[in-house]
Amino acid sequence: MFTTQLLDVVTTAGVLYIVALGLLIVYGVLKIINLAHGAFLAVGAYAGVVTTRLGWNPWTALLLAFVIGVALAALVEWRILRGLYERPLDTILATWGLNIIVVQLITLYFGREIHFAESPIGRAVTVSGVTYSEYRLVLLALAVVLGVVVWLVMQQTQIGIVARAVIMNEELAQALGINTRLVRFVTFCLGAGLAALAGTLLTPLISVHPNLGVPWLINAFMLVLVAGVSLANLALAALVLGGAQVLVSSYGNPVLGSLTIVILAVIILRFRTITI
Amino acid sequence: MRERWTDHRARSLATLLVVLMTAMVPAGAVQSQDKKPIVIAVPVGLSGVNSVVAPAVVQSGELAVEEINAKGGVLGRKLQLVPLDDESGPAGAVKAFNTAIHQHKADTIITMETSAARNAGAPIAERAKTLFIYTSFYEGRACGKTLFVNAWVPEQVVPPLVKFMTDEKKVKKWFAVGSDYAFGRGMIEAAKNTIKGAGGTILGEEYQPLQQSDWTTIISKIRAANPDGIIYSTSGGGPNIDFMKQFKAAGLKMPVGSLSIDELTAEAGGNAAEGVYYTGDYFTGLDNPENKKFLDAMKKKFGAGLKTPNSLSEPEYDGVYAYAMAVEKAGTTDVDKLVQTLPTIVFKGPRGQVQMNKQHHAPLPVYLAQVQADGKTKVLKSFGLVDPGNQCPNLK
Repeated sequence: MFTTQLLDVVTTAGVLYIVALGLLIVYGVLKIINLAHGAFLAVGAYAGVVTTRLGWNPWTALLLAFVIGVALAALVEWRILRGLYERPLDTILATWGLNIIVVQLITLYFGREIHFAESPIGRAVTVSGVTYSEYRLVLLALAVVLGVVVWLVMQQTQIGIVARAVIMNEELAQALGINTRLVRFVTFCLGAGLAALAGTLLTPLISVHPNLGVPWLINAFMLVLVAGVSLANLALAALVLGGAQVLVSSYGNPVLGSLTIVILAVIILRFRTITI
Repeated sequence: MRERWTDHRARSLATLLVVLMTAMVPAGAVQSQDKKPIVIAVPVGLSGVNSVVAPAVVQSGELAVEEINAKGGVLGRKLQLVPLDDESGPAGAVKAFNTAIHQHKADTIITMETSAARNAGAPIAERAKTLFIYTSFYEGRACGKTLFVNAWVPEQVVPPLVKFMTDEKKVKKWFAVGSDYAFGRGMIEAAKNTIKGAGGTILGEEYQPLQQSDWTTIISKIRAANPDGIIYSTSGGGPNIDFMKQFKAAGLKMPVGSLSIDELTAEAGGNAAEGVYYTGDYFTGLDNPENKKFLDAMKKKFGAGLKTPNSLSEPEYDGVYAYAMAVEKAGTTDVDKLVQTLPTIVFKGPRGQVQMNKQHHAPLPVYLAQVQADGKTKVLKSFGLVDPGNQCPNLK
């Protein structure tokens, strides 16, 4: 029972981390909460539906999702968001509107009913005497890999250094000759691409329908509010909040558990953001 | 001068109007008695949560109307179907029922709706003395003088499923799982009563909030409890597949009985729900001549635009037929007469024999089915006619 619960906690944290990563990156650099995050999750999930229909290998959905997510984000940043950076509050309206538009477009084409996307892995494996969903373990590993890759990019590459400069002080960065407009553009595309990727990764766990992103958006939003702009903080927040949710659901019930993330986030925000 | 002129013109206009009206009245009267179609309103969730199933409901109604009209209609009058959007909820239902009754002068309302929409619409139909045939399965005990139901209530589908799993799958220790809402909890409650009656025990009972799609902790609890079998009732559609995907991926293998899955959902889920047992009154795979005829006619009429008929849509077809037969037998669309006549009507349709003679509810043919590896549903056996029990003790 203990091993199962430990696995539940870490894999839930892994899933939350994957889902929230794109939102965090956009928040960090652009200082806006991308409320279309849920729609990008849905776009990624439907990429899985499309590859299933075409009979492609389920893993190819990841690539397709990322490409579509980035392309859509590029269009949106270029035509809509770019003009709104001076008015941060209006970006909330714009991204939420975008969320509605994308979800409705998906509904128009695919319909409201649920769709099937092939899972790359549907087996269970035995870990130290406990049978557990292999896919959840794979997700945990992917969360770690994604976290490390994004961290390396931020620490070791030119793009990362520039992005960090923008995060810390955008005006100063601009004064130093950094093209902050380009940084914003690339970051938004990357964040949306990661969101679409997360959507595809969710399909083996959940059914695909146009509004699948909404509950995940809410949790990701809470995590980002608590974590601020740090990747490590996001991992910690996913572990603490996700873990609390699992434990409350296990020892209490899932109805209470579903409140845990929100309540904990409010309590943490009352005092401070999580720091290491 | 001017005033007089106006006066004069008004008078001649009035005369003209009177002449016109007297000329039209006899024609109008003939129209309303003989040629005017019998209007069947279908307020259904064309938008909102029911929008997945609503088009199939309308198609079932359209086929029934077309078939009846092709044979000359009822009492020499044609049937006319008027679909309206109830927005899947009570506010929309109030609008749709009022539009149906006052604007379209509906003779009857025959439809599938959410319970909230039905609860809002039924009193309007009753006040306006309009016959209302409700064609959706639901939680039971909705009663009204002019309200009839031709679909199942929990008493008809839950006990057969539990008894099958107890007797044939040897399930003694159960785990019950549901979505945290009235219908989900109600179905699990009904299942628990049957389980206890059959001598089984319930090791655990867990409810998941509606918007939550991660079932991990509940699945871990199931594993820890190690039951012989699962009975579950989520909200319709997606959550069935969420639960079954994660249940399978966790390597759990005990038999599963579902109180919430349907053919379309099972098929959309691919292999996710493979092996799941469920009961119902209508499946496309029902092997009887009426169903074959129904499905062929649906395919022919709607072609590529056909929405797969299902247990929520097919009863609309039965409902329209039952109403038409009742009108034919009573010789009138008068509600008081129809309320007396309708319970005597037996319609043998795709589901089998349906007669709304038990307190405005119907004993129904109930079948056991299982989801196959490709997501298709296979009908395993029939339980015969199952009684709805005491739904409305104050009605005959």
